[in-house]
Amino acid sequence: MSNKMLYSLAALFDSPDAIIKAAKTVSGKGYKKFDVNTPYPVHGMDGAMKLPPSKLGYFALVFGITGATLALLFMWWTNSIDYPNVIGGKPLFALPALIPITFEVTVLLASVGTVVSMIVFFFKFPNNSHPVHDTEYMKKVSLDKYGILIEAGDDKFDEAEIRAMYTELGAVSIEEIYFDDEEVGWKPAVFDEKFIGFLVLIALTVSTIAYFVLNKALYMTPFDWMMHQHKYSAQSPTDYFKDGYSMREPVKGTVARDFMPYLYAGQPDSAAKYLVNPTFPNDENLALGKERFDIYCSPCHGTFGDGDGRLNNQFPNPPSLHTDKVRDWKDGRMFHIITEGQNIMPAYAKQITREQRWAIINYVRVLQRAKNANEEDVK
Amino acid sequence: MSKFQLDYVKKPLPAKVTMIGAVVFLIGVIVLGAGFMSDHVRAAFNMNIIYMFLLSIGIGSIFLIALEYIAGAVWSVPFRRVNEVNAGIFWVLPLLALPLFFNMHDLFHWTHKEVVESDKFLSQKAPYLDETFFYIRSAAFFGIMILFYMLYTSLSKKQDKTADQKLTSRAIKMSAVFIPIFGIGVTVMSIDWIMSLEPHWFSTIFGVYYFSGSLLTALALITFVSVTLHQKGYLSKYINKDHYYNFGALLFAFTNFWAYIGFSQFLLIWYSNIPEETFWFINRMEGGWGIVSLLLIIVHFVVPYFGLVAQPAKSNPTRLKIMAIWIMFAHVLDLYWLIMPTYSKEAPVFGWMELSLFLVPTGVIILVFAIGSKKKNMLPVGDPKLQRGLEFHL
Amino acid sequence: MNTDYTHEPSVIEGKPSLASINEVVIKPTETMPNKKFLLAISFTMTLMMIGALSLGLSFYYGTGMWGNNNPVGWGFPIVNFVFWVGIGHAGTLISAILFLFRQKWRNGIARFAEGMTIFAVMTAGIFPLIHVGRPWIAHYLFPLPNQHGLWVNFTSPLLWDVFAVSTYFTVSFIFWYVGLIPDFATMRDRTTNKLKKIIYSIVSLGWRHSNRHWLNYEMIYLILAGFATPLVLSVHTIVSFDFAVSVLPGWHTTIFPPYFVAGAVFSGFAMVQNVLIFIRKIFNMEHIITVDTLEKMNKVIILTGSMVGYAYAMEFFIAWYSGNQAESFAFINRAFGDYAWAYWIMVSCNVISPQLFWIKKLRRSIPFMFMIGVFVNVGMWFERFVITVTSLSRDFLPSSWAYYKPTMVDFGILIGSFGMFFTLLLLFTKTMPVVSIAEVKAVVDGAQPSHHDDDEEGGEGHE
Repeated sequence: MSNKMLYSLAALFDSPDAIIKAAKTVSGKGYKKFDVNTPYPVHGMDGAMKLPPSKLGYFALVFGITGATLALLFMWWTNSIDYPNVIGGKPLFALPALIPITFEVTVLLASVGTVVSMIVFFFKFPNNSHPVHDTEYMKKVSLDKYGILIEAGDDKFDEAEIRAMYTELGAVSIEEIYFDDEEVGWKPAVFDEKFIGFLVLIALTVSTIAYFVLNKALYMTPFDWMMHQHKYSAQSPTDYFKDGYSMREPVKGTVARDFMPYLYAGQPDSAAKYLVNPTFPNDENLALGKERFDIYCSPCHGTFGDGDGRLNNQFPNPPSLHTDKVRDWKDGRMFHIITEGQNIMPAYAKQITREQRWAIINYVRVLQRAKNANEEDVK
Repeated sequence: MSKFQLDYVKKPLPAKVTMIGAVVFLIGVIVLGAGFMSDHVRAAFNMNIIYMFLLSIGIGSIFLIALEYIAGAVWSVPFRRVNEVNAGIFWVLPLLALPLFFNMHDLFHWTHKEVVESDKFLSQKAPYLDETFFYIRSAAFFGIMILFYMLYTSLSKKQDKTADQKLTSRAIKMSAVFIPIFGIGVTVMSIDWIMSLEPHWFSTIFGVYYFSGSLLTALALITFVSVTLHQKGYLSKYINKDHYYNFGALLFAFTNFWAYIGFSQFLLIWYSNIPEETFWFINRMEGGWGIVSLLLIIVHFVVPYFGLVAQPAKSNPTRLKIMAIWIMFAHVLDLYWLIMPTYSKEAPVFGWMELSLFLVPTGVIILVFAIGSKKKNMLPVGDPKLQRGLEFHL
Repeated sequence: MNTDYTHEPSVIEGKPSLASINEVVIKPTETMPNKKFLLAISFTMTLMMIGALSLGLSFYYGTGMWGNNNPVGWGFPIVNFVFWVGIGHAGTLISAILFLFRQKWRNGIARFAEGMTIFAVMTAGIFPLIHVGRPWIAHYLFPLPNQHGLWVNFTSPLLWDVFAVSTYFTVSFIFWYVGLIPDFATMRDRTTNKLKKIIYSIVSLGWRHSNRHWLNYEMIYLILAGFATPLVLSVHTIVSFDFAVSVLPGWHTTIFPPYFVAGAVFSGFAMVQNVLIFIRKIFNMEHIITVDTLEKMNKVIILTGSMVGYAYAMEFFIAWYSGNQAESFAFINRAFGDYAWAYWIMVSCNVISPQLFWIKKLRRSIPFMFMIGVFVNVGMWFERFVITVTSLSRDFLPSSWAYYKPTMVDFGILIGSFGMFFTLLLLFTKTMPVVSIAEVKAVVDGAQPSHHDDDEEGGEGHE
């Protein structure tokens, strides 16, 4: 035992009664740095050692309140502020429905937080370099003995006196516990530069490897069948056709279903000659004509066909519909003009259906008649 | 162990306890009587609250006796006699039910024949919600409860003299029979007296809800009485902080249990939002009743929770007594919240008449205890578990 | 039968020496597995492989391999989930609630029951995971920020489940681990194997049985028990909310929360009792896990079984009392409809069979209690089946009514879940102390100081 550093003097006892008595004696004599090691918590030991009650309860309280507050605030923020979303007709902040999760988070945070605080702050664990580890004393305590030790660092430490006291108390054995030689003056290597550098190196290597393994080597796109299908998207190019378009023109002469081709394209005279207005100008037809006229024609031709629409003077002004020329036109010719356009007027075949075109023509006739009413009409 | 010596000497309660009880009771009865004179419907509802509160004490106390036997509990043995005395309230309960039986029409919508006939749901329930059947159920309940109360107390009394261990074995068997019957009985009573006030409303958990409040109230009463008796030296010097701690812990646990049951009932109905159920809660959440509902949560849960959550608070006698009284008050509020909205849907009513809610139960409890404890030992001196119970340490 | 009530019956028989407890408990972890063990584990692993195969089929071909059909969208997976979560509840009840009630008999069985809790919750966790369809992105069940800016629905009971089950698992695990620390230290000081010593040193964190630590340790145990108790109630309550917040007749009933909790404890106790019967025999622990302990468990089984019976009766009564046609129909259909067979299996196993435990002789007979335990578990599995399937198969629209018929794959997954549970359990028995050494030592006769002196005022400070 030459130059080894003494940590403490320990004694083992046989029964719980003896250890309680020993603890009472030791604490009664005013030793401060002593500890009792028992294989299980012995009732009444805390009183015998004069230990203050545990303060862990406060930790639990603080962690619990934190958990409850955070959970509630978070749920309130997500559904009331960040992305308001009415679910099942409940209010945005539906408190009763949030209570279960608040409770769970409270319990989770309180339990985990308190246990971690106990282990880290109260026990200073993990700590496998304590002098009592691997001693005969510790092994006996783990098995069936009750031990007490007084540290050499205690102000009143006096080996002979303590030995005498232990013997008097009926100790089964007395043992000196030394610091492990290699652990004397040992400091945790955690803050050593080399160690930190080593850690950084490992971290970098591992993360690089992990990145390449996970994102490159083992990359799997999960369930992307719908993204890649055996077909061309609209507007995409292709090598298959000479012109490079994947979208194809229909076969010449194809007529879409329900589509009537216009037979007199570029032939206003034929149109005037052969096309006959198939509709009858009743109230309904005229109402339709008026509606369409007001939408499509009136911006240029004016509400009453005078050629004074809203767009007057922004383009070359359109002609009035009340000139003799227009009044003498056949319905077919007017139909042709609406369908194909004339001069600056564009084609309206895409916007106005056939029936509507005829209805507009009927309405134009009504307007013409109104502007040039004869005696009879006034009656 | 040899140190143990039972130090119990029977000390009679001071006579003024009976006096105080009698005076409070009389004032309460006068208030209640005046109430019946001025507004008999409202007074009948008040009477229902009083009756259900005292029923809570009765069923809670007798359940605690049975629970002690069947669970083999040891620490509570020194206080069992207090429970036995409190359960004596079953002698008074039938009398208290009488004014209700005479006012059935004021209380229960379903007793009106013409209403039942015109209501599809009520006529469907008519076989159960039937006046005669109602009386039979109440009578049977009282019969069974009084029977078991007598069995328990006579057995306990006999044991005081003989210290026969077989009696404890018998009581355990009896409790095994009693508890299932008790469960059904309490459920039926809670449905009859409270749930059927709103005959259209239904909730499967209702019996459990009433039971949880009742048990809590009986625990509060026994806590208050035991702590007071012990402080005044009526019990044993061996009773220590650990016994108190158990009272505190149980009060705390059942406060949470009540909140759990109450919350379950509310959440399920609130969440599902089915009109035939929600109206009951809407009645209690709108108008003036919203405040009462909020108050109920605070009074019945938040205050006792924070009052008892700390470790030292659970064994602090002053704190325990305050909390016990508070919890009993909270149970009155709970019953008020359950029963009164049927009487006044718009807003809660509270006037001089409602003073009887506190006066009559206080008077009855004190009187029952003072009279019931006269001839009894306050400790079950012959109980084989008594010594272990007194020496109890956590 | 003359019981002596004046003395506290010891929960550990025969006053074993503290050293012998070490010996008995640690020994299984030091010996090589024998033939019986290998046979048992190969059997359970076979079952597990059946489950894995069935899961593989489900993933390859899709959930069409299951019996779920249009009205019955929730079939076996949810039934199994609720069943396994329920099994777990007994462990927490034993370790936390009985701890709060200072029931010393729990000390011998708490560790094992906690282990069962963890394994049962792990097994239960499989079912929601496979049910989400794409388990590899199951982390989106938690409120993680994502490119849609959307959050999970905090008002959905299914999300409550996510939080409840994950919290339950974490807290149970911590509770279990905290309990194991002193035992790992004991094993560290006992072993002579170098590798084992290193492992035990790491996991025991350097525990040295110091009373200054025991003080806080007992406190944390109390705190954890205090948290675990409402937690265990909340978990099955929330599981019951999955059903009860809906408007489906037979699901929406307010008694569900306590009724589910009682049912969970009921089946869990039966499972723990069944497994303990084997453990105590195989590992020679009959003096630690005594017949008295098993009898007490059986009493809990009667109690919870009767509570479940009360809930069945209450549901029926209120279904009639409510006057609601849909409600009454749902319950009549349960008892007399297509699934009457399942209903009556449930009632006879859950309500009737445990009543036989009223007879003391049967309560203490090992083969008989084993049989009842099996019945109870069968009954409780059927209870979840009845609740889930009968209500769904007869929903509000008679034209869509259908009969649910589980497929072989469904059964395969169910068998696999049993395989997984028992495999984990077997591995546990060989690697860790199945009985808490420190807790058992503390309740051996004579382990505590013989007299409490009056000078220990202040409730001794250990709570």
